[in-house]
Amino acid sequence: MTDAENSLAEIISKVLLLDRNELTDDLKRGDYESWDSMAHLILISEIENEFGIFFEDDEVVDIWTVADIRELLSKKISS
Amino acid sequence: MSGTNDQVDEILKSVRESPTYLSLWSAYKKIQRLSPKPPKSASLRASIAIIGSSTLEPLAACLDVKIRLEGFHNHTFIGGFNTYRQEAMDKTSELYNAKPDIIILAVDAWTLLDQNFLSSYPRMSSKSRSAAIKELANSLIAIVEVLAKNSAALILVNNFIVPTFSPMGVADNKQKISFRQFFRRANQLLEEKLEAISNVFVMDLDSVASDFGKSRTMNWNTYYRGSVPFGEEFTLVVADEYMRYFRALKGLTKKCIVLDLDNTLWGGIIGEDGIEGIKLGPASPGIEYVEFQRLLLSFYNRGIILAVNSKNNFDDAIKVLREHPHQILKEEHFAALRINWQNKAANIAELAKEINIGLDSIVFIDDNPAEREQIRLTYPEVMVVDLPKNPRLYRTTLENLDVFDALSFTKEDMARGEMYVGKHKRNELEQRSTSIEDFLRTLEIKVRVKLTGDFDTPRVVQLIGKTNQFNLTTRRYTDAEIKSLRDAEESAIYSMAVQDKFGDEGVVGVAIIRKEDVSWTVDSFLMSCRVIGRSIETAFLAKIAADAKTAGTKRVIGEYIPTKKNAPAADFYEHHGFAKQKEMGDGASWMLDLAHGTLEVPDWIDLIEE
Repeated sequence: MTDAENSLAEIISKVLLLDRNELTDDLKRGDYESWDSMAHLILISEIENEFGIFFEDDEVVDIWTVADIRELLSKKISS
Repeated sequence: MSGTNDQVDEILKSVRESPTYLSLWSAYKKIQRLSPKPPKSASLRASIAIIGSSTLEPLAACLDVKIRLEGFHNHTFIGGFNTYRQEAMDKTSELYNAKPDIIILAVDAWTLLDQNFLSSYPRMSSKSRSAAIKELANSLIAIVEVLAKNSAALILVNNFIVPTFSPMGVADNKQKISFRQFFRRANQLLEEKLEAISNVFVMDLDSVASDFGKSRTMNWNTYYRGSVPFGEEFTLVVADEYMRYFRALKGLTKKCIVLDLDNTLWGGIIGEDGIEGIKLGPASPGIEYVEFQRLLLSFYNRGIILAVNSKNNFDDAIKVLREHPHQILKEEHFAALRINWQNKAANIAELAKEINIGLDSIVFIDDNPAEREQIRLTYPEVMVVDLPKNPRLYRTTLENLDVFDALSFTKEDMARGEMYVGKHKRNELEQRSTSIEDFLRTLEIKVRVKLTGDFDTPRVVQLIGKTNQFNLTTRRYTDAEIKSLRDAEESAIYSMAVQDKFGDEGVVGVAIIRKEDVSWTVDSFLMSCRVIGRSIETAFLAKIAADAKTAGTKRVIGEYIPTKKNAPAADFYEHHGFAKQKEMGDGASWMLDLAHGTLEVPDWIDLIEE
């Protein structure tokens, strides 16, 4: 796991109140109780702060799964 | 349910290791999910409420976890987004049902101002500017007054952050009421109008923001996405500021600074450099130490106790305190001195005993890391300051400790330092006396017991808030609760003032009585540790028992609830002829039958009744 992957996993697991090994790519907002709108807000902001990036409103709304976050983040970091 | 508590402890342990915003938020949510049961002991329970104009969960979460890190079980009520008016007005609202110790009112000025305020300001007349200031301050004050009427909680009101920006630019203060002055004046109005309400405090958010850096306080993304105004780091800083009030309310603040001498109060080593050689004077190097001492003297003047713990020849070091022309802190400013070659841990234990305060009320300041480490290892409850190597930073380090807070200052605080001079004289007399009774008789002790009036209520509030050792029940009450107990028919609050030939100690004892026809129950009984050992408590209790008898009741009931600190009061009721009634948890309730038992005032005490 790279440093970036590691810090992302740390953020997601803390906000979603999961152990690191409980974190799966298909974990979905709406299905998982702890991933409510407040958690989503904090999740997005923590990722922005950690990686020095910015999510557009459309992107924030379109993030539904852990996989979505990874995908979008790697796109933003590499661009 | 110990499983749940263990899990909570585990969560808090991980927060201690990494106290970031994210960790605190995560811990808060996890603890809420576990919903641990409150502990039996009321002194370890806390309840806070935070209401205001924004989304307050993140700030509330940080504060909740910080309170738990202090060892409390906490309940946090979080008001809805911009629903603080309804919550404050509705007496049956969840806000009041939670019986909070503290209510925080966090309202952003911009939510109270007209939406065109910024755009119109350049063209507003000074008259309408002035009217808008009053309107802004008064709309917040009105809410505060409702809260103060409906609740006995300590109420903390954020003041307004004065913007750094002005549409008028550098010519801002060439206006009659400048843009920035508008907010400053509103803040001034808040302070002026709320100053007289003793359980309301204006939390100086503007200063906190300035110190942090105003341009960094906001996270505009979370603000526009979800009305969460403060950035992550600043949220932690604001929560820390609230914690200062919490600690003061719960009696967790520090009372005494124990100081090293060489390279702490002056530069150099007195035993080697001599009185002419040490660095202490009007220019650098030397002025750094003088200014550090001036700060310490300001703490002394408001009631913080100072003491010395130094490895030195006594005669060398005391000469500086007595004779050095630039020494600010003189011998009489120190409540106790340990200048010897003993190890400093042993010294600090002796100092605590002599001054009669708990080790956890002490802050230790020493330039030598090895000495600090020794104290830290021997007495982890002592707060050991990591003094920077550079003496120019001593002063700012002490200014930023934020551990000496009190919610009020009384004349007893202001004169505390002088009282220790009397204590020294008393000790000398005791050593010369042939017996303890002899000694007590020559002291000419006068004890005044009276029902608490307006004048001594602030001191009573303070003693109830901070007395730990000679405190039978350690029940903490807010200012408003104390006033209502004082004024109610079915309860009474006694206060006791003590003086002897060496000085006036002021009000040092409080008892809260709950009255019933057949019995009086001593809800609280406490006494400043300064006056322990003169049987003054016996005179106080005797007066209460006599009043109970005069009122026609048959018995006096007392309780002892043990805490980590109140062992000195453990056998109080037994010692005064009370019979044990029943065990209550770790404590017990005790009863004095007034038909058979009476209490005598010791013959060396002159009890003055008012």
